[in-house]
This record gives sequence, structure tokens and C-alpha cells, in this order.
Amino acid sequence: MASASSPAPATSSRRRRAARTDLATDMVMIAPAFALVVAFVIIPIGIALYLSFTDWDGFTIPPDWIGAHNYLRLFQDPDVLRAAAFTAVIAVVGTIACNALGLGIAVLLNRNSRVNTLMRVLVFSPYVIGPIILGFLWSSILGSNGAINSVLTNLGAERLPFLADPTWAMVTTILVIIWASFGVNVVLYLAGLQTLDDSLLEAAVIDGASPWQTFWRVKLPVLAPTVTLNVVLAAIGLLRVYEIVLALTAGGPAGTTQTVVFNILTTSFSRSQLGYGAAQSVVLMVVIITVTVVLTQLRRRSEEAVSA
Amino acid sequence: MTARRTLRGLAFALIGVAMLAPLYLLVTNAFKTQQDIVGSPFGWPDDGFTLDNLWRAATSTDFNVVGAYGTTALLVIVVNVLSVLVAGPASYAIARGVRRGHRIVLLVMLAGLFIPSQAIVIPVIYVLKTLGLMGTLPGLVLFQTALTIPTTLFLFTAFVQSIPRELDEAARIDGASRLGTFWRVIFPLMRPAVATAVVLNAVGVWSDFVNPRIILGPGSGIYTVTTGVYSAISKYSTDFTIVYSNMLLAVAPVIIFYVLLQKRIIGGLTSGAVKG
Repeated sequence: MASASSPAPATSSRRRRAARTDLATDMVMIAPAFALVVAFVIIPIGIALYLSFTDWDGFTIPPDWIGAHNYLRLFQDPDVLRAAAFTAVIAVVGTIACNALGLGIAVLLNRNSRVNTLMRVLVFSPYVIGPIILGFLWSSILGSNGAINSVLTNLGAERLPFLADPTWAMVTTILVIIWASFGVNVVLYLAGLQTLDDSLLEAAVIDGASPWQTFWRVKLPVLAPTVTLNVVLAAIGLLRVYEIVLALTAGGPAGTTQTVVFNILTTSFSRSQLGYGAAQSVVLMVVIITVTVVLTQLRRRSEEAVSA
Repeated sequence: MTARRTLRGLAFALIGVAMLAPLYLLVTNAFKTQQDIVGSPFGWPDDGFTLDNLWRAATSTDFNVVGAYGTTALLVIVVNVLSVLVAGPASYAIARGVRRGHRIVLLVMLAGLFIPSQAIVIPVIYVLKTLGLMGTLPGLVLFQTALTIPTTLFLFTAFVQSIPRELDEAARIDGASRLGTFWRVIFPLMRPAVATAVVLNAVGVWSDFVNPRIILGPGSGIYTVTTGVYSAISKYSTDFTIVYSNMLLAVAPVIIFYVLLQKRIIGGLTSGAVKG
């Protein structure tokens, strides 16, 4: 646009030369970033694809080509299927909970005040502390000799098997993951709320809308893009959850709280089945990309409903 | 109106307790004996508070806290600097580019947004071995930097697009080169986007566990805070004098940092996210 309207009557050859040097500078500016991504993301994806068709153990070179065997195997592997089912539950329940909590609390904390700032700092703190330490912390609170069970025993009550019983452990794990994750959504929803036009809200109030109606009819529709961002980010993050589970339950009891990434890393490193691990990684990548595309498409409809 | 205020107060109290209780336990129990941690985890200790656990944890050979913090801080700084140095000019060239090639390059790099790093860490070992960087800090730095580029580039490109092109033209008329225009004219305007990227990348590198664990490996003897605290705690998870004290050592600097800079951290996270 700008170059077309530029008044300088440069000859076409000079302009072409300028364009060529521009392209050369562009390449220099882009090359380092591009090279890093290609070397450490794109090529590894290619290698993962290749390894997924082999039975590589990490040593034998070259690895043996075994065709689609790994893929056929993983759809019948009870460990993989259990991890996939548990991860799916984490992703669905977690995405809903993180967004409900995120949006709800953001609305509560939207106005700037000292209390609200303090609450924001608290709610966001798990994100800063990080999953490994949070996992250990909750395991020392909820373990069989943990803080809560100590209190229960001191009161003469029965211990609760938060992390010892498979069903309890799965529920506990999901709750801890939600506790550790929703703070990011609160902050992102706060950012979205701050872009909200005050005059819209005033108009709603003048029209006699209740706060409840204002939320559903005015705030939520305007926030549609923020909702999309939060839903997609939460889902992607939860599908790859690993560290917090490692520190909280170490995948137990009896492997019931293993997630997909947990299983990929155990298969690859503890059992030295790197080819099989690579096949699981490829499937996970495909699932994440599919989920992202589907969610974005689904959300596009509600975003268009607003702009219409 | 008062009913609503009571409800809000109740919600705040609930959230406050839910977020604070674990941290309260983390801090107080680090100063108690094992007996008191089990006897009264929430209450006042019979034996009083003690510094023994912390002293033992700080001087233990299992987890060299100072060394681990040094490594983590180095990683956070180097990865952030490299990431901005590399993604900044690239985002400018792409955002101002008009060719189809620019879009393709952007799409290739954004593909990284959807790739879980844990899913490619095995092949990355391959790449690092070829480069002779497996088991080294430079190798980890390169991989972590590469992982930050998609998000950083995404934030930066969106931000540059919101800066009027007239600024570039003016700089060009003044005789500035394209790279010079970027660093001297455009980059100073990108502070909100840079703040967001730095916060995201810093937290990402600080809490990264899988990559340092696998790429540095236990054999290298180099630990970050996360891998160090993991090896210190996972062996003795029933000895609470070790667990709580190590956790406190691992998080205390970050919590102090976070409380001091909370405005910038939370603000930084939102400032660039709004535009994108």
C-alpha cells in the first residue's frame, strides 16, 4: 500500500534492486529464528514420524523398520488406552472448570482495588511456583501421612485415601490440576474484561439490565475471542499435563493416574522402547492439532454471532 | 446489595483459603520437627520452630540450591535474551513482508505452538547428539530458545502489525537501514509485547522439568531448581523434614521475586495478550 502510493518516481530497475536488497535483509532477519525452529521442532517432528515406524531401542543403528506395528499396538495397549481416557477426562473437566472459574473470578476481581490486587496475586501464584513443586506440596498435604490425614488421625477419625485409592487418586489429581491451572485463565479473562467498552455497560444499566443479564448478554458476547483463546490454551495445556502428576502420585496407585505424556516418557526411557514412544507422541500431536482446529472452528460461530 | 457483598466476601474468603493454605503449610512446616509436622501440621509446634531442617537441606549434597539457582537463572536470562534477539527482527520482517514466502515462514514457525515439547524431546536428543551438544547447557539453551520462538513470534508479529508503517518510512527517509529501523524505531514501541513474552518465557524456562532432566541428564551433574528439587525430594517423600525444607528453598526466591514484581508480571502477561 504505502510503497504504491509513494510519490518518488524511481525507475523500475532501481525499485527492483531495492526490493531485492529488502528480500535479502528479510532473509537475514528471519534466518536465525527459522533455523532454530526447523532444527529443534520441524526436523524432530520428522524424526519422530520416522522412529514411530521402527522398534528403536535407543542404541541399535539403524533402527529396524516395522511398518505400522507401533500404531496398531497402541490402540490395543491397555496402558495407553487408560492413560488416554484419563487425559481426556482431565482435558474436558479441566477446560470447563478452568474457564468457569477463570471467567467467574475475573468478573469478581475486575475493578481495581487493594483486595482485588491481592486476590489476583494469590490466584496466579501456582503458575509462578510451577508444577513439580506444586505436585510435591499437594502430595505432602494429601498423602496417607500428609497434613490432612494427620489432622484426621489426631481427631481420631479414619484416614482418607486421597492418593491411595485409584478412584480417589484420579479425582484428587484432577482437582489439583485445576487448582494449579485456573489462575492463568483468570488473568487472561481480566485482560479481556479490561478491553470492554464502558459505554456498553452504561447503556445496559440505563436500559435496566440486571448484573446477571449484563454478564450474559453484554460481557460474555464481547468476550467471545477471549473465551476462544482460554478454551484452546486450557485444552492444549491439559492434554500434555505431566509434571504435576509425576510429583503428586508418580502415576500411581497401580498406574491409574498416568497421563499420555507420562506414558510416553515411561515407554521411551524406563522401557527403552523409543520407537513405540515416538508413535504415541505422533498420535498426541495429531490429537492436539485436531482439538485446536475443532475448538477454533466451533468458537468461530459464536464469535461471528457477535460481530453480526 | 448487602447480600451480594456478603456473597462476594464469602467467595473471596473461600478462594483465599484455597490458595493460601498450601503455601502456609509449605512455609510453616519447613521450620518444624517431623513430630510436629505430623502432630500439628496446621498449628503451633510443641517443640517450637527450628532452622535445623533448612540448614540441613541447604548444606545437603543431594541438592545444591545455590548451584541449581545459578543454572536456572542463567537459563532464564540467556533464553529470554536470545529469544527476543532472534524473534524480534524476524517478526518485523514477517509483519512488514508482502510476499507469500513471509506467510509460509510464519505458518511453519507457528506450527510449533501446537507441538508439546515432551513429544519431540526424544528426536531432539538425536539432533543434539549430531551437533555434539547433548548433555550440555548450550544444547539445552538452544532447544528451550527454539521452544519459545513460536509464542514470542506470534505476540511480536501481531504487535508490529498494529504499529503504523509511516514510522518505518520516516526512518527510511532519515537513512536508517531496515535492521536499524527495527531496533531503534519499532522495538522501543514493543514493550508491552516484550513484557508478555518475557514473563511467559521466564516462567516456562523456570518451571521446565522434562527438558533439563532429559537433555542434561543426571550424569552431567548440572541441575536446575526443578530437577534438583525432584532428585532431592522423590527419594525421601515420607521424611517431611526433607520435603518441606527443600520445597521452601526452591520456591522462596521465586515467591519473593513474584511478590515484589507482581504488578509487572501480571500486568506484563496481559499487556501484550490483549493485542494478539
